[in-house]
Amino acid sequence: MQFYFETPFGYFFTGIFLILSGITFTLFNLMQGSSSLAGMFDLMKNFMFIVIPVLTMKMFAEERKNGTERFLLTSALTEFKIVMGKFLAALTLFLSALAVTLIYVIIIARYGYADAASITVSYIGFILLGMSMTAVCTFTASFAESQVTSAIISFGVLFLMVTLTSFTGTVKIPVLTKILTVFAITRYYDDFTLGMLSAGPVLYYFGVTAVCLYMTVKNLEYRRFR
Amino acid sequence: MIDVCNLTKCYGSHPGVENISFRLNDGEMVGLLGSNGAGKSTIMKMMAGYMMPLSGSIKINGFDMLEDFRKATACIGFMPEICPLYPDMEVGDYLKFAAVIKGVGKKEIKAEVDRVSGLADIRDVQDRLIANLSKGYRQRVGLAQALLKNPEFLILDEPTAGLDPRQITEVRDLLKGIAATHTILISSHILSEIVQTCERVIIIDHGKLVADDTIGNLKKKGRNAGCFILRTSADAEMIRNILKAVPEITDVLKISDADQNEKCSVICTDTDDIRSEAVRLLSENGIEVYEIYRPEISLEQIFLELTKG
Repeated sequence: MQFYFETPFGYFFTGIFLILSGITFTLFNLMQGSSSLAGMFDLMKNFMFIVIPVLTMKMFAEERKNGTERFLLTSALTEFKIVMGKFLAALTLFLSALAVTLIYVIIIARYGYADAASITVSYIGFILLGMSMTAVCTFTASFAESQVTSAIISFGVLFLMVTLTSFTGTVKIPVLTKILTVFAITRYYDDFTLGMLSAGPVLYYFGVTAVCLYMTVKNLEYRRFR
Repeated sequence: MIDVCNLTKCYGSHPGVENISFRLNDGEMVGLLGSNGAGKSTIMKMMAGYMMPLSGSIKINGFDMLEDFRKATACIGFMPEICPLYPDMEVGDYLKFAAVIKGVGKKEIKAEVDRVSGLADIRDVQDRLIANLSKGYRQRVGLAQALLKNPEFLILDEPTAGLDPRQITEVRDLLKGIAATHTILISSHILSEIVQTCERVIIIDHGKLVADDTIGNLKKKGRNAGCFILRTSADAEMIRNILKAVPEITDVLKISDADQNEKCSVICTDTDDIRSEAVRLLSENGIEVYEIYRPEISLEQIFLELTKG
């Protein structure tokens, strides 16, 4: 957390995030007079595969470059605590940036009609999506020795997962489509766009998060034996 | 006590360390010597728990590194070759963070940070960013974090690397001061530092253990133990002809000292001192002996001899 908020990185990330959200808010809400944030978040999700890898690229690469990975792995901290600490720090920055967008809700409430339920569901869906993408990038970052490699791998994996949503929507191959749907990370976001908060997508995003964090812990444990 | 038994580690198909076995007894200060790439850092990383061996075992106070990892590493303070520092943190904040992750109790953190800062003499830089510190101060901060929670065993990889002579002396004095209550393993390229601080050395060459002994014993075993230096009124050829009557003397070589004085190195088998016999023979042949002594064998010579192959 200290790294994110005591260096320019956190403010830079927040700035980029707010520029993107500002553009999408302007396009969907201000120009079209819509009071729903679903459209804004629906477009925002397509930028996440650029934004989230930037958030996580320093997670492990910087520790390896500074030699502080040895420091952490020879401390009293377990691999689980190390991974959770890093994940929660990145998630907190994401949530902090997202919290600033509450100003859009105030604008909508002031000049239009703010449907609390719909807006809440939109935020919940976007938070779940951000959380699961952060977990995916935490896992991919745990393999990288440099920040650039980390960003590229994370970007590639997320891009693939986002693209699979369109692919599995149009191409129907028995069994294979079902398997690929599991990796189509934005496919389950549609319910939130429609204002529906259902158990399936919520469990999916928590599941992706849990699996990715578990694999990250195992990767760190495995690295001791390399 | 640390017991290292048949330790082996490979990097791909390349063996980093092969069948290394040694023991560190309580209260010892031991030097780990070896050329670049010999395997010193690999051994230290495994002992600190950062890396696991391919085979073999490391037991720390009876706790096996693989089976009781947390208990084994709880009594280790490790300072790697690259000091594990966060450039964007202040020294005081870094040490507090280090204390937290090492399990120092909340109420004891302030006192503990103050204690190690005093030991490492970094009280005056607590508010400075680590990125702005000199190499010497960074080494001291790295040493301070290794001392947190007063670990029983200290594993220090090149603790004096990059320090100026005054700082090296200060670190050496610090280590001597804590040696009574800690078991310390130090690796260094500066052999004179090892001689001044350690009573025992372990020498590694190409991943294998080539020596594990006290410095005194190593010097006795050194190849030139069977040798003494002569400065006389005659040349090496004449001395060789005279001393060939002594069966223990195998060769006489002409050498020069630092002041370009001609001397002879008399090689003999490592038996009883036959210098008195040699002087007697030379005197009988009318040769004046100005100087005769056994050369002081340096650890450097021993190291080079042991690692040449």
